[in-house]
Amino acid sequence: MIREDLTNAQTQAWQRLAAPGTWWTGAEHVAIAAEARYARDCAFCAQRAAALSPLAVAGTHDRLDSPLPDAAVEAIHRIRTDPGRLGETWFLRLRAACLSEEAYVELVSIVAVVTAIDTFRHAAGLEPTPLPAPIDGAPTHYRPRNARPGLCWVDTLAPEDVTPDDPDLYRELPGPRERYGANIQRALSLVPHSMMHWWDLLEALYQSSREMRDFDREYRAVTHPQIELIAARVAALNRCEY
Amino acid sequence: MDGATATGVPGGEVLIALVDAALGRDEATLVQARAAVRASLGLAALIDATAVIGGFDGITRIADATGIPLEPPKAEQTADFFAALGIGQFRAEKV
Repeated sequence: MIREDLTNAQTQAWQRLAAPGTWWTGAEHVAIAAEARYARDCAFCAQRAAALSPLAVAGTHDRLDSPLPDAAVEAIHRIRTDPGRLGETWFLRLRAACLSEEAYVELVSIVAVVTAIDTFRHAAGLEPTPLPAPIDGAPTHYRPRNARPGLCWVDTLAPEDVTPDDPDLYRELPGPRERYGANIQRALSLVPHSMMHWWDLLEALYQSSREMRDFDREYRAVTHPQIELIAARVAALNRCEY
Repeated sequence: MDGATATGVPGGEVLIALVDAALGRDEATLVQARAAVRASLGLAALIDATAVIGGFDGITRIADATGIPLEPPKAEQTADFFAALGIGQFRAEKV
């Protein structure tokens, strides 16, 4: 019933979730994923989402018992339950609470991965996939030398600034470049493996850039216009301007 | 954006209903929406449609959680319906 590449992409995403990352351990990855699922039933989040402004409601999150710092839990819950009203002031408060931008980017990618897979499976009538058992190991703490501020709230690595030390996050090799560096592709580039992990999954759920632009051929059982209609409707319901 | 306007896309109505149900909380409505897509477009289309829903439920969070701006050429190309659809209201709500 499910395309093989889509099944493989989910399996790979879960394996990567279990493994140590760049700024979080495997156990922390799984804790972030679990918290992202738990956030959907958080009463405080529900009150805030319903309020005219999230600032109008005070309270504390219903959270799981984990070593994740409060700033991370706040990030996970807001991204999961009220993403359309996230602002830079909110992000800067997280930074002030000692959540580094690198750790934040990796956390965003995990919430996105879990949300994407859970939403897909729920919409399709499939059972949710149990979270994986974490794998021991230390994070790499790799930060691209040429990541720089200016595009968005976090530093990013533009395709033209990639060095031989960086992973092939824009798929330049052997060429031509497959991820051409649109802002949405640069968003997670401060943590290259998070960026790559997310886009590997998204391209199986949606389409690659090349497939998206090939209007002479349909790569899915839904057409290009149908795909974009679906995408636009999701974006509208999530109040996403981009 | 309210889903009431005809899309001109074959199967558009059932696909929009599927998106709305998938992101909602009413299981019965989702079951009906799934059945409608499967009946009119087929099982493979249902799977691929729900995959897109999942993908964009994720990617919208990346966009909003990092504050990435729309590229200027895209902003210019979409200025007319950006205004018509009131998308600017989303920006005003961010705190």
